[in-house]
Amino acid sequence: MGLEGEVAQLRRGNLDALSQLIARYQNRLYRYLLRLVRDPAEAEDLFQQTWLRVAEKIESFDTRRNFDAWLFTVARHLALDHLRRIRPRSLDEPVADDSGGETGADRLVSQEILPLDRILEIERSGRLAAALQELPVIYREVVSLRFEEEMKIEEIAQVLGAPLSTVKSRLRRSLEQLRASLESRGGAGGWS
Amino acid sequence: MNPRGVHDEFRSLMSLAAAGALESAEERRLEQHLSACPACSAEWEGWRALAGGLRRIPTPQPSARLVERTRRLAEAALDEAAEHRWNRTVLIFLLVFSWVLTLLSWPLVRLFSGGLLAMLDMHFERAWYGFAIFTTLTWLAGGVAAAMLSMRQRHARRFA
Repeated sequence: MGLEGEVAQLRRGNLDALSQLIARYQNRLYRYLLRLVRDPAEAEDLFQQTWLRVAEKIESFDTRRNFDAWLFTVARHLALDHLRRIRPRSLDEPVADDSGGETGADRLVSQEILPLDRILEIERSGRLAAALQELPVIYREVVSLRFEEEMKIEEIAQVLGAPLSTVKSRLRRSLEQLRASLESRGGAGGWS
Repeated sequence: MNPRGVHDEFRSLMSLAAAGALESAEERRLEQHLSACPACSAEWEGWRALAGGLRRIPTPQPSARLVERTRRLAEAALDEAAEHRWNRTVLIFLLVFSWVLTLLSWPLVRLFSGGLLAMLDMHFERAWYGFAIFTTLTWLAGGVAAAMLSMRQRHARRFA
């Protein structure tokens, strides 16, 4: 069954369709929430709340709309409400890296020996993820939606409830900040 | 525009180009410039690497336990929503049916007990108002009781 079929079945209260949709979106949704709130326990709680909200509101979902955008909008509202309640300042202030100082190399200790390129790739990804975490939430989310969720600019605008020009300007600023941050860590091109 | 200004203009487009967010006309202009400008081309490679790196950041995955717990809770919420919809439909039907029955019963009783002339009794209107007020109050009390019971049931289910 395709996505549209699953959504239609869910609207009729089909429990199998709900399981299939959770399985389909579990990684993407959890990753997006984690990018927004940065704390795994909070992301888990929001993940659960998002699906509860979906179950409650699916009847009012307009099938002409994009389900991805609707689902991520539901998740976004819950996450932003949570951030406003728990950490009001986190919505506009960058916070220190919470990766605990663990590097890609640390994570490799117990693993099999990998080719050098793979090790370097993991280390680069670790640095990039850490730099991404330091961006303000409005920048983190556009980067995550564009590069990780691979949403089109129009879809991101739907999720954010913002005009295309705002999405583009946030995307541009977030990438420029990210690049400046990486260059200040490892020197120009040190991460690439 | 001076040559430095030209480079700055194209460099300002690169972040959006790396995100695939440029209009096609701007993209073509940028491509043309890059093919003729080694300095901007080197800058562009940095942006491309950044975009590629962002797409390859490992995906954190939710635990199987979280997914299973979420599935169970969402299924319960879906069941509850369906039950709520069914109850609402039944309640609306019963309300309409009962009101029709109530409103019809009084004239019918008068019709069968006192004949057509009783309907024209000068006191009929006053008695009818009293009956309607009494019935409304009864329905309101019944509605409040039903709402309170429903809220209590929902509360009990949530903490079960």
